[in-house]
Amino acid sequence: MTPHHSIRLADAPLGKRVRISRLRSRPDVSIRLREMGFCEDAVVRCVMKSHGNIICEILNTRVAMNSRLAGDILVSPFE
Amino acid sequence: MRDNGSTSTGTRMIALVGNPNSGKTTVFNALTGLRQKVANYPGVTVERHVGTVRLADGVDCLVLDLPGTYSLRASSPVEAIAVDVMLGRAAHTPPPDLIVCVVDAGNLERNLFLVSQIIDNRLPVVLALNMVDVAREHGVVVNTHRLEKELGIPVVPMVATTGVGLDELRRAMAATPALSPRAREWTLPEPVHRELEELTGMLVGSGKFSEAAAFNEAIDLLTSHPSALEQTDRFDPAILDHVRIDHQKLDFLGFDRESVAATARYAWIRQVVARSIDRVAHPGISRTDRLDRILTHRVWGLVVFLLLMALMFQSIFSWATAPMELIAEGFDALGRGVSGLMPPGPLHDLIINGAIAGVAAVVMFLPQIMFLFFFLTLLEDTGYMARAAYVMDRLMGRVGLPGKAFIPLLSSFACAIPGIMSARTIERERDRVATMLIAPLMSCSARLPVYTLLIAAFIPSTTILGVLSLPALTMFGLYLFGVVVALAIAWVVKRTLLRSPKTELLLELPPYKLPSLKSILLTMWERAVVFLKQAGTIILGASIIMWFLVSYPALENATPSQQIEHSFAGRAGKFVEPAIEPLGFNWKIGIGLISSLFQREVFVSTMGTIYNLQNAEGGGSSSLASRMREDVDPLTGRPTFTLPIALAVLVYYVLAMQCLSTVAIMRRETNGWKWPAIQFATMTGLAYAAAFIVYRVGTAMGGS
Repeated sequence: MTPHHSIRLADAPLGKRVRISRLRSRPDVSIRLREMGFCEDAVVRCVMKSHGNIICEILNTRVAMNSRLAGDILVSPFE
Repeated sequence: MRDNGSTSTGTRMIALVGNPNSGKTTVFNALTGLRQKVANYPGVTVERHVGTVRLADGVDCLVLDLPGTYSLRASSPVEAIAVDVMLGRAAHTPPPDLIVCVVDAGNLERNLFLVSQIIDNRLPVVLALNMVDVAREHGVVVNTHRLEKELGIPVVPMVATTGVGLDELRRAMAATPALSPRAREWTLPEPVHRELEELTGMLVGSGKFSEAAAFNEAIDLLTSHPSALEQTDRFDPAILDHVRIDHQKLDFLGFDRESVAATARYAWIRQVVARSIDRVAHPGISRTDRLDRILTHRVWGLVVFLLLMALMFQSIFSWATAPMELIAEGFDALGRGVSGLMPPGPLHDLIINGAIAGVAAVVMFLPQIMFLFFFLTLLEDTGYMARAAYVMDRLMGRVGLPGKAFIPLLSSFACAIPGIMSARTIERERDRVATMLIAPLMSCSARLPVYTLLIAAFIPSTTILGVLSLPALTMFGLYLFGVVVALAIAWVVKRTLLRSPKTELLLELPPYKLPSLKSILLTMWERAVVFLKQAGTIILGASIIMWFLVSYPALENATPSQQIEHSFAGRAGKFVEPAIEPLGFNWKIGIGLISSLFQREVFVSTMGTIYNLQNAEGGGSSSLASRMREDVDPLTGRPTFTLPIALAVLVYYVLAMQCLSTVAIMRRETNGWKWPAIQFATMTGLAYAAAFIVYRVGTAMGGS
C-alpha cells in the first residue's frame, strides 16, 4: 500500500526529512537495510549527493549508499 | 538448551558484541590490555580475539571480542561467527556466560535493534553504553536509570577511550544478571502476534527448539520470502506447510510480512529512546558535517585521500629506516657474539647464517608493519577510513570491486599476508577472492630492498624539473605499475571467473572522534604478534632451508662466490638459466630469483654472497652496487647487468608471485589450492612476459 506521493530516496530533495514508505530491493538486501535503520516508517534526510551516490542521515547516523540502493528506497514527505 | 553456569573449564567467559563502530574493540583493549591472544576459529579463517580481564572480585575471566554485527541475522561469514557464538550454536566455543553489548550512546536507536534481539533470545546481557562523551557533544544525554528500567537489563555508561566507566563495567561483568521476567515489550499487530504464538508453540512441540529459539525461528519463518522456505531442511514439512498458510493469511490481511517485525521492533525502540533521553538538541552544522563536505567531495575527497596516502607512505619509509638499521646491527652483534662462543663447523653455520640470519630477516619487517598498522588503525578509529572507502568506491567499482577492497590492497603495501587476511571483511565471496588474488601485486615491503639496490646501482640520479629525482620516480613508477596491473586483472577476473552483480555500497560513516592511543598501540602489538607467528615461522624455516641450499654441497677453501656456484642453489640457477636467458638473465640472477621464492629481499643478500660481500644489507650496498655494475662474464665478455636487464629484473619482481608464505595464506583463506595455483601461474607468466618485453625493447633501443 504505497501512499500516492512516493518518490525514490535518490530523488528526494537535499536537507529535507522524508519518511520511508517501502523498500523494493531484494529480500536479503532489504533485511540489511532495515537492520541499519532503513525500515518502513523511519525518517531519513539526504545530506549530500554526488553522481548518484548519496549520504543520508538516519537515526542519528550517517550512511553512504550508491544510486541503485537509493533508487530502491521509496519515501514520502514527512511533516 | 542454555546453561547459565560457568563453562566446562570453570572459567567464566564473556562475549563482547555490538554494532560496527560502537567502540567495541576499544572496550576490549581497555579491559584486557596486553593479556590478549589472536588465533583462528577452528576450521574457518576468521580471527578469534580472546583476552583475560581481572574482575572486581579478583577473579579472572575470559573475554571474547566477537566481530561487529548489526543484528542476529548474519550477512557475512564473519558476522555468522558472532551470531553462532552468541546463540551457543558454535561447536568450537561454549555459550558465553554473559554477553556485553557495546552500544554507541549517540546512536541508541539503531544499536538497540541488536540489543532487543539478544533480549528476545533470553540471553543474559549487560549494555555497555559507550561514547557518552561524543553523544553529549551532539546534544544527546541518556538517562541511564530510565534506560535500565525500560530494557530490564543493566546499563553501564562509559567512555572507553579514556577509561571512564571501566570499573563499573568490570563490576557488572562479575555478576550474571537474572533474566528479566518481563515479556517482550515490542508487540506485533494482533493477527500477526496470534500466528506467531501458534507457530512458536508448534516449534517447541517438535522438541527441537527451546522457547526463545522457537520464538526467533518463528519470526524468521513468518517474515521470510516464500523461496526461503524451499531451501531449508531444518523444519518438519508439516510445519512448513503451516507457515505457507500463515503467509497467505497475513498477505490477505494486507500486512507487509517482510517488514512487519522490523517495523514493530523499531516502533518499540523509538518509545524506549524517547523515554530515556533527557535532552536532545539539534545542533547546527556539526564538525562531522563540516569535515565531510570536503572529505566526501567528489574531487577534494579524492585529493585529500591521495595526499594522506602519500604522507603515510613517506612517513613509513623514512621513519622505519632507523629502527630497521638498529635491528640489523643488533642481530649482527648477536651473530658475532654467538660466533665467538661456538667452534666452527656446520652447527655454527646453521645457527649464525641460517637461524640468526633468518630471525633477523623476519624481525626486520616489523618496523614497517607496525608503522603501517599504526596509521591504518588511526585512520579507522578516527572514523576517516569509512570516508576513504566511500571515496574509493567509484574507482574500485570501475574494476568491479567494492570500495572496502582498497583496505586489504592498501595493507598489502606492507605485506600481502595481513592484507589478504583483512580481506575477510568483504562480504561477498567473489569480491573477497578477487581482492586476495590481486593483493600481492601491491609492491610489498620485501620488494623494497630489491628495488632500492637495483635503482641505486643502475638508475642515474639526475633530477627532472629540478625537483623529482629519477630514482624516486622509478620507485614510484614500479609501485604504480603493480597497481595498474592489479586493477586490470581485477577488471578481467570480475567479468569472467568471478563475475557477480555490482556490489551495493551501503556503509556507515561514523562521527569523527579522537581515538585512544592505548588502543591503537595494542592493535599494533597484536598485528606484530600475528605476523611473527604466522609468517615469521615460515620465513625462519625457509631461511634455514635457503642456507642449506647455498652451503651444500660444501666446497673446501672456497670464496663465498665459488661456494654458492657449487651449491644446490647454484646448480639450480644454472639449470634454469636457459629458461631465463630470453630475459637477459644469467645464472647468478637465476640464483637470486630462486632464493626469492622464500623471501624476496633475500635477493639482496644472495647478490652479496655471489659478489663476495659479508654484509650486503648495511653500508655494503654501495660497493655491492658497483660490483654488480662491473660484473662481466669471463667467457663471453657480456655484462651480467645492463640497464635493460636491471629494469627487466625490477619489472619481474613487481609482478612475480615469489613469496611462498603468501601462497600458504591464500590456501588457508580460500580453503583450497585452486586459487593460489591460478594466482601463482598468472603472476609468474605475466612477470616473465613483462621482463621479456622490457629487456628486448630496452636493448633494441640501445640501452646496453
